[in-house]
Amino acid sequence: MCGILAVLGCSDDSQAKRVRVLELSRRLKHRGPDWSGIYQFGDCFLAHQRLAIIDPASGDQPLYNEDKTIIVTVNGEIYNHEELRKQLSNHKFRTGSDCDVIAHLYEEHGEDFIDMLDGVFSFVLLDTRDNSFIAARDAIGVTPLYIGWGLDGSVWISSEMKGLNDDCEHFELFPPGHLYSSKEGGFKRWYNPPWYSESIPSVPYDPLALRKAFEKAVIKRLMTDVPFGVLLSGGLDSSLVAAVTARHLAGTKAAKQWGNKLHSFCVGLEGSPDLKAAKEVADYLGTVHHEFHFTVQDGIDAIEDVIYHIETYDVTTIRASTPMFLISRKIKALGVKMVISGEGSDEIFGGYLYFHKAPNKEEFHRETCHKIKALHQYDCLRANKATSAWGLEARVPFLDKEFINVAMSIDPEAKMIQRDLGRIEKWVLRKAFNDEENPYLPKHILYRQKEQFSDGVGYSWIDGLKAHAAEHVTDKMMLNAKKIYPHNTPTTKEAYNYRMIFERFFPQNSARLSVPGGPSVACSTAKAVEWDSQWLNNLDPSGRAALGVHDAAYEQQQVLPSLSAGHGPADITSKNPRMLEVTG
Amino acid sequence: MCGILAVLGCSDDSQAKRVRVLELSRRLKHRGPDWSGLHQFGDNFLAHQRLAIIDPASGDQPLYNEDKTIVVTVNGEIYNHEELRKSLANHKFRTGSDCEVIAHLYEEHGEGFVDMLDGIFSFVLLDTRDNSFIAARDAIGITPLYIGWGLDGSVWISSEMKGLNDDCEHFEVFPPGHLYSSKEGGYKRWYNPPWYSEAIPSVPYDPLVLRKAFENAVIKRLMTDVPFGVLLSGGLDSSLVAAVTARHLAGTKAAEQWGTQLHSFCVGLEGSPDLKAAREVANYLGTVHHEFHFTVQDGIDAIEDVIYHIETYDVTTIRASTPMFLMSRKIKSLGVKMVISGEGSDELFGGYLYFHKAPNKEEFHRETCRKIKALHQYDCLRANKATSAWGLEARVPFLDKEFINVAMSIDPEWKLIKPDLARIEKWVLRKAFDDEENPYLPKHILYRQKEQFSDGVGYSWIDGLKAHASEHVTEKMMQNAAHIYPHNTPTTKEAYYYRMIFERFFPQNPARLTVPGGPSVACSTAKAIEWDAQWSGNLDPSGRAALGVHLSAYDHPLPAAIATGNKKTRMVEVPTPELVISS
Repeated sequence: MCGILAVLGCSDDSQAKRVRVLELSRRLKHRGPDWSGIYQFGDCFLAHQRLAIIDPASGDQPLYNEDKTIIVTVNGEIYNHEELRKQLSNHKFRTGSDCDVIAHLYEEHGEDFIDMLDGVFSFVLLDTRDNSFIAARDAIGVTPLYIGWGLDGSVWISSEMKGLNDDCEHFELFPPGHLYSSKEGGFKRWYNPPWYSESIPSVPYDPLALRKAFEKAVIKRLMTDVPFGVLLSGGLDSSLVAAVTARHLAGTKAAKQWGNKLHSFCVGLEGSPDLKAAKEVADYLGTVHHEFHFTVQDGIDAIEDVIYHIETYDVTTIRASTPMFLISRKIKALGVKMVISGEGSDEIFGGYLYFHKAPNKEEFHRETCHKIKALHQYDCLRANKATSAWGLEARVPFLDKEFINVAMSIDPEAKMIQRDLGRIEKWVLRKAFNDEENPYLPKHILYRQKEQFSDGVGYSWIDGLKAHAAEHVTDKMMLNAKKIYPHNTPTTKEAYNYRMIFERFFPQNSARLSVPGGPSVACSTAKAVEWDSQWLNNLDPSGRAALGVHDAAYEQQQVLPSLSAGHGPADITSKNPRMLEVTG
Repeated sequence: MCGILAVLGCSDDSQAKRVRVLELSRRLKHRGPDWSGLHQFGDNFLAHQRLAIIDPASGDQPLYNEDKTIVVTVNGEIYNHEELRKSLANHKFRTGSDCEVIAHLYEEHGEGFVDMLDGIFSFVLLDTRDNSFIAARDAIGITPLYIGWGLDGSVWISSEMKGLNDDCEHFEVFPPGHLYSSKEGGYKRWYNPPWYSEAIPSVPYDPLVLRKAFENAVIKRLMTDVPFGVLLSGGLDSSLVAAVTARHLAGTKAAEQWGTQLHSFCVGLEGSPDLKAAREVANYLGTVHHEFHFTVQDGIDAIEDVIYHIETYDVTTIRASTPMFLMSRKIKSLGVKMVISGEGSDELFGGYLYFHKAPNKEEFHRETCRKIKALHQYDCLRANKATSAWGLEARVPFLDKEFINVAMSIDPEWKLIKPDLARIEKWVLRKAFDDEENPYLPKHILYRQKEQFSDGVGYSWIDGLKAHASEHVTEKMMQNAAHIYPHNTPTTKEAYYYRMIFERFFPQNPARLTVPGGPSVACSTAKAIEWDAQWSGNLDPSGRAALGVHLSAYDHPLPAAIATGNKKTRMVEVPTPELVISS
């Protein structure tokens, strides 16, 4: 990933403004530690912080067309850039960067080229011939993007909120799958796949078609000039990512440069379910497996930094982001710049435990559609920003445009959880990779039930967070919560604690409006809370709340860690977190 | 390098304080991007940001003795840690980190162990048994360190000023070669080498002894578990570093892990003298050579960030830090975490051009002593902070404790510049590596005259900086300069420009007092300006000012036109040169 910041039409071309833009752009330096660039055209500034994954030697940005009349700053990966280059045979390319095609496609097709891009991206393109610009964000919002407006009539676009929140009168999330055109002064949706209308599809389930589509999505994402690995929690999704990556690694350009050995990474509290599960999968696949053990205190010490980076006060997202944030630093320290990860599968296939209670296939399907549309505010946000905080890029094959089309065209009857037929959640995905002759994964792993991310790292993680919040948020504070935070009022001490931190970093009203709210049970949308009348009374957002669904949930209840920072927790603070290379 | 921050005895053990210390420690994250740690003992906090060079897997800090009663946070490299471990046979070590010996040495020897360490370091050690602490800094001040005091009675110690400037009532540079002990409440100098008294030494010059000492200093610094390279400007010092490294790389543990091909890096404006000179040396040595071309605009765009990181308003340091800062980011992006660099030679051997005018050997020698003692405020500051800004570590073999002892014991008569005897500056060093049978460098490089760092990257770099400053600093501002900045008043528009930026980041009075000032010509101390009556009239700090000494100084045209932002900076891997086999 990279970091982009554009300030357009700010009526100020002074050195002071340039210095200010450079300063704001440096707030995104963690996203692109490798190099930075700025292009100034009158009162328009395009800035870039680069993480070099493709063509490290020459792909510095901004990028240009032949005569430098069109300038682009991009955060993204264009997986089909080689084919696109072939279609642009009359164009001369200046770099080997995959993002170089954007300027040339615009020259050829105007604003209508965006759906031709297969990949993830956020970009701002400045056409100096008529001083117009366009900005766009990928289909699902795998890359983050914010847009803001200044009192001086300027438009601001930034990969993270921190790039523009102090200088804009109003700002908001840039909607995924949309294009903003200065000529029209507004958004236009460029992403119009069949599933978007939420009508119920009827294509019969074909396991092999689904398998093929996923394998393609993974193979595309092996495009890299730098060392990479996979995040492996031992759950179904990450295990499939690891299995498919391991199978297709040999023969790729990446393998030629960095070897055929796949590196896998898992994070957890010591003895956590994920560590055990991931080790088993890593052993089976023969990856070079790295475990990272953290303590509850490590996690709590990181919370402020996590909220600064992730830019949310959503409880589930913060819980799940923290271990990912910690392990990302360790992964980067090993020289790995990119990881492939399993986000998106639960939304596409209805993998969350509460889907057990979906009343019918229509409701089931519509809920998956809602979940996919909201991904950019939850798991995409987490996966992207938790890794980008340390200059690590996360790639998410489940959110491949083609794969989504295939998966979302399946008659949702097949996705329904039907215990009588032996169909647990995500059965269509499991079945697709159930290859008897040449198994991707051992059967018991392929059919293992889900741990939600923040549960899997260790049950005492969430208990620890709650205990910590309970020490620092008083009942009196909770009593006034509605007055202090009328929007998205925190209903738990944990939520209140996160909210205080968020408001300190991002005090603007626009900032708090960028975070979603509303009732949820175990990651459901507000609508799905209606599926079970009992849920309304127990709105803990963790996976375990969907009680009666997961077998192992309350069996392993552990003793609450005594968490009193300052006096006595020597056993928590003094234990060094560590990264272990686990021999297979 | 790493980043350390310690807050000792702050009478506050709350969660809010812990969060504040964590927040301040994160200001040092660039120094140690790989991991962080915090140890709290009552109202004492020891924080650490780690760059993992030795034992990346388990060496996270803080570090402890066996029973965890002694806690230490260290920024440093202890080159003799394996020998020291052997001397501590009755101790159990928890990690493979080179810095772990510190806790155990303290246990064994109390405060008297610091001179046993061969390496560079800043550390804070907390003894929880009696709630006392010590802090220390390496001999020359290669690692940066600041100390501050809070109104609550707390003592603060931080690798960079930005870790403590907002929370201390007073702070200052932690003096190199010193120890601060909470029991005594003050400093004690632990570094007491013979040269420190500035008495004139009399050991006759022996080229082979000097050569051997330098080779030892380089070999020590090949201790690494991660990829590394050398900074190569093509001048004498960096070329010797590269030549000796290349010669001794084979057979080391580093070579086993990362190969015997040495990577070298050079930065410059396109067509600059350094780029040309470095390429020639790289060709000769057969290194994998990387050139990084920047534009004047790139440099100007980086100035604010450079000042924030280097924490100075000294003009020469900022000029020279900027290209190094830019190149460090590129080097790090290639996966290289450590570079060996040539700083210190000019101070030890009187390599600056103004040494041509030294009136006698006594003055010459004393000036070298003064220069070495001031290094921590100039080139050490630059080399360490410009690289650490991007999580890159710079190692400087010329500032090896042993090597300094050897080099500073030589009768300074030998170091004097004597054109009649064909002795140009740093002749003793050149001669030491003039090996006819197995040459380290071709003769014309070995005897090439110096470009000072900020000149060598391209003559238009400094002209560009001056032009930029004169656009943004008016005459009126200069007129009031003495009122606005009574301490170290900027005398040029360029200095004024840097000062404004510095004061924005570090507005406290103690901050401006950490930066040295006073008149200087071409990097001289104030004392040496007396060597030539004309100098006090022309106080430009660049090397070129020492006019009449350097031959090619004013031959070049001075293109003041600053390239605009659309000229790409780039890192070029220069095709591996043919192996030169010298007979």
